[in-house]
Amino acid sequence: MLLVLSEEHKEHLGFLTQVESSVVSEFGRIAMEFLRKGTNPKIYEGAARKLNVSSDTIQHGVEGLTYLLTESSKLMISEIDFQDTVLILGFSEGLNALLLQLYLDNRKEIRSILSELEPKLPSYHSLEWRLDVQLASRSLRQQIKPAVTLKLHLNQNGSQTTRILQTDPATLLHLIQQLEQALGEMKTNHCRRIVRNIK
Amino acid sequence: MELSEAAQGGLRLLAEPGRFSARAFAALLQAAFRSLLSGPAELDHPDLEHIDPAILKYCHAAATTCIVEAGKHRAEGAAISSYLEDCKFDKERMEQFCTEYQKNKDFLEVLLGSVGRCPLHVTDVSWRLEYQIKTNQLHKNYHPAYLMTLNVESSDSRSQPDLNFSCSMEQLQDLVGKLKDAAKSLERATQL
Repeated sequence: MLLVLSEEHKEHLGFLTQVESSVVSEFGRIAMEFLRKGTNPKIYEGAARKLNVSSDTIQHGVEGLTYLLTESSKLMISEIDFQDTVLILGFSEGLNALLLQLYLDNRKEIRSILSELEPKLPSYHSLEWRLDVQLASRSLRQQIKPAVTLKLHLNQNGSQTTRILQTDPATLLHLIQQLEQALGEMKTNHCRRIVRNIK
Repeated sequence: MELSEAAQGGLRLLAEPGRFSARAFAALLQAAFRSLLSGPAELDHPDLEHIDPAILKYCHAAATTCIVEAGKHRAEGAAISSYLEDCKFDKERMEQFCTEYQKNKDFLEVLLGSVGRCPLHVTDVSWRLEYQIKTNQLHKNYHPAYLMTLNVESSDSRSQPDLNFSCSMEQLQDLVGKLKDAAKSLERATQL
């Protein structure tokens, strides 16, 4: 699958042909840094002074590169498809090789950054447990009531929340049985067939 | 077992055959257990009609207090009988009280055991397995994911919203592993 680049995008990337390969590498580093931590316009101004061009040009160059890398990573395009995509830009062989390397080196990280953007439900983080026996209460003396206290840690909207729960031994065994069935389901022929065929 | 002066007074009135006939006594005893175990009970039984409502209320409160205290200390029949004897109960009424108490003891224990605060109680789990394919941000993002719902119940019997969360296969394995550890430890603890 080839990436279709808009004319505007091509024009922005065109700036990369006017600078040395070390500058392109630097742009790549900046692009990755911005993906990790967010953009910082001051860097554009600094680079613009050094290269004696407008800071808009630098911004377009870096953003063009960022977009090229994120789109390619999003679609998980192959090495060959990436090369063919860049070929259309008419860059030198050296520059093409540099861009390919940039893509291959950072694809995994970019995909993990992109995966954080997906819509998410509160998700499991970890579980702590404690065994208790209730021995007495104000309203009933001499009890023997086993209980399993659970502290469930969940990730929710980027922060962690905890819930304190309790259950009895019989329910605990029931929960384990149900959850093992859930895990086992993934190994059934039905699920395997679906997973094999969705590619 | 120790009861307040007021409760003892109520029991003594309940013991008087002149005030409470055998049928009135039985009706009040039934009402006392019913009001504890199955919600408010009316004191409008025909056998109770001729008794002063204030006395009825007083004796009803005394009987329920006695039942709750006996339940709380898991008193045996003998202990209850000797206490009632001190309140001038005759043999027949003592026996009636104890029989009724034995009959309802288990329910009473469950009821008294459930009084008080405790964390949300997990009663069941539902799960759903899905296979993620792509998002608007990320294609070819193939991985299985589980959606879990823990059904919970609270001691104050107000209904609680169920607890929902998602987890990956690895996270579910982690969860099951930890629950199994807990179950194993529980089994070991019961064998001590």
